[in-house]
Amino acid sequence: MVVQVIILIVGIYILGGVLFAVPFVIKGVTEVDEGTHGTKLGFRLIIIPGTIVFWPFLLSKWIKSNKKHD
Amino acid sequence: MSASYQAVLWNRQKKHYDWLIFAFCTSYLAVFTSVTLVYNPQVTFETLLIRSTSTLALLLLHVILSIGPLTRINKKFFPLLYNRRHLGVTMFCIAAVHGLFSILQFHTLGNVNPIVSLFTSNTRFDSVSAFPFQALGFFALVIFFLMAITSHDFWLHNLSPKVWKTLHMFVYLAYFLVVMHVLLGVIQYETNPVFVIILVLGSGALITLHLVAGFQETKKDNIKFHLQRESFVMVCDVNDIEEDRAKMFCLDKERIAVYKTDGKLFAVSNVCKHQNGPLGEGKVIDGCITCPWHGYQYLPHNGQSPPPFKERISTYDVKIEESKVWVNPVPYPEGTERPGAIITINQKEEMFV
Repeated sequence: MVVQVIILIVGIYILGGVLFAVPFVIKGVTEVDEGTHGTKLGFRLIIIPGTIVFWPFLLSKWIKSNKKHD
Repeated sequence: MSASYQAVLWNRQKKHYDWLIFAFCTSYLAVFTSVTLVYNPQVTFETLLIRSTSTLALLLLHVILSIGPLTRINKKFFPLLYNRRHLGVTMFCIAAVHGLFSILQFHTLGNVNPIVSLFTSNTRFDSVSAFPFQALGFFALVIFFLMAITSHDFWLHNLSPKVWKTLHMFVYLAYFLVVMHVLLGVIQYETNPVFVIILVLGSGALITLHLVAGFQETKKDNIKFHLQRESFVMVCDVNDIEEDRAKMFCLDKERIAVYKTDGKLFAVSNVCKHQNGPLGEGKVIDGCITCPWHGYQYLPHNGQSPPPFKERISTYDVKIEESKVWVNPVPYPEGTERPGAIITINQKEEMFV
């Protein structure tokens, strides 16, 4: 039962990461890190797994960078 | 450096190494398969795949963990370091094939979720011979996965070098888990002692290499510099440092690299901003101090990476008195310009007297 609950929580977390990864690699990444301006598709694809795992951290960075620009 | 990212940083040398890794891995798998089929023709495809990938991944893991201490013992091993990340990702992919096929073979035959089955089908944690060793391999694979997906410089920059390095130091925990996975797994039912011998030899070699490298570094760091004057510490003779090279000194627990280039001495932090590489073991290329690990560069007079790059390291005051080099171990803020110490002709000539 405990294992099933943990797997469910991890599954929901990963789903959140997948949903977050799409807008992040398209738009958010350039706002979070200026070194990504002009990067090609290969780079954006290669950071997707990490984005799915570290999405709460990147979301917080993205929100902070938006506040800076406002 | 961090001006703009590419998917994979390939140059001629890296491509050469990657082809070498590919050729080695395919040759290993071919030889393993052939030998197994000769001695055990009844072996199934899944078992062959699980065993060949597990031994290959374990072998690569030993090579990867040896590279760090080897480079600290001898600079000739630096080329291996340039390609360590590619080797790490390769090792993860091979280990992932092993993990995936193991789960398919052992946990997909019932009606329980395979991952749930992995953790619940065997709960004999109090037994040595029947310990649920697969869970140990699973957790090791999770660590390798996290390392592989964060191997790009984008993650180093955004997670911060400190967090990134800490995350990647978990490779030692993963190695421990892998060793236990093998000891409590295949070695429990395999009668051939060759597995035990290989594992003991591999672990023994790794531990010895790390101890030797650690001992050498500690010895360097513990050198005492007794002669001090007005905050400056005498570290060496100006002729002890080769042109376009440096010597590293540990003063007040700070590792400082003193570089000789273009008729001057410059003192900068020994720690590269990229992955804490030893800048003092690098050399001056195109007027820039170049890290021996991944080629990050800094200008000697201000510790700044040349534009458009933005890395900065601390600089220090250095002076020469009667051919002796004196360094002030109090760092200036990262990127601060310092004049360096001019080497006069007399100081150069003293070595020939």
